[in-house]
Amino acid sequence: MAVNEMPGGQFLLAKLDDVARWAQSSSVWPLTMGLACCAIEMMTATAAEYDIARFGSEVFRASPRQADLMIVSGRVAQKMAPVVRRLWEQMADPKWVISMGACASSGGVFDNYAVVQGVDTIVPVDVYVPGCPPTPDGLLYAVNLIQQQIRQGGRGGILARA
Amino acid sequence: MPSSQTPPAGATALDPTALRPDIADARILRVTPAEVRATLEGLKADGFALLADVGGADYPGREPRFDVVYHLVKLSAAARTLDAVGLPERVRVLCGVSEADPVVPTVSDLWPAADWAEREVFDLFGVRFAGHPDLRRIQLPADWEGYPLRKDYPLRGPARERTPRPSFALKSNVAAGTPASGRTAAALQRQIAAARGQTPKDGAE
Repeated sequence: MAVNEMPGGQFLLAKLDDVARWAQSSSVWPLTMGLACCAIEMMTATAAEYDIARFGSEVFRASPRQADLMIVSGRVAQKMAPVVRRLWEQMADPKWVISMGACASSGGVFDNYAVVQGVDTIVPVDVYVPGCPPTPDGLLYAVNLIQQQIRQGGRGGILARA
Repeated sequence: MPSSQTPPAGATALDPTALRPDIADARILRVTPAEVRATLEGLKADGFALLADVGGADYPGREPRFDVVYHLVKLSAAARTLDAVGLPERVRVLCGVSEADPVVPTVSDLWPAADWAEREVFDLFGVRFAGHPDLRRIQLPADWEGYPLRKDYPLRGPARERTPRPSFALKSNVAAGTPASGRTAAALQRQIAAARGQTPKDGAE
């Protein structure tokens, strides 16, 4: 994008692709889905002090049809796994997934029969956030990375290039 | 009151009444599956109207192997003040269940609260409750195989049982000479030296 000085005023000249990606990356709406204690940090990220609204992601949608981003915030129980997969399938393309915290990413301390050992075994993950739990800053950075991905025309954008 | 179900000699150490004597306000009754129904009916008629919980316990090597544990509370209907209520009277009924025939009559018709609690015991211990209206798994997926709270159930599940656990050489453990992975500091140093193509330095052992 470039701001060009023109006689009589200023014009913003940009490629449609860039404008569309900018708009899309600034309104990544997460799905309302808290699985465990990481969800507390996720809620903190939405509250005033961290304020995820600064990045346009404050609109947690109750319906997967209206959500762009799945934040897997916590350990995924074996019984929950098909539900998570189904929610992901119900989300309209383009969609992104953040694996938040050690448990979602690898099973964490729950190396047992009841917990899925990494949510990437059931849904494709775009960004992993380390931590137990990650700080809200970590989650915000993950959202930033996804925004970056969209602006650069990466996987999943509306104008994504093959 | 029911006859006491005496554990066989040699199993005393595994008898929970031996491990945990009566707490201040709870009696412990030990019954057989044939007696449990009448016992609980009697206790309910005696004022123990609240079924606080139904749980299970596994004592491998003991006969009977399992316990189904009923926690009953007697609430005073006459009490009008908190002081008058005091400590409620409690009874813990332990029903020994053999592994060969793990069946206990249901009490879900006496206490609706027992419905899901019995399903949980069935789900995790494999104890069946005769007469239960809807004995399905409640916490685990419906197609789950095995009963995870039995002590012989592999912690990581049957499918992953044979895969090696990741080992973590924690700094503090290595310093203490007792790493969680079972490897000693000297062994780790040898391994590092070998990876670098060196011979271990003096004092590594």
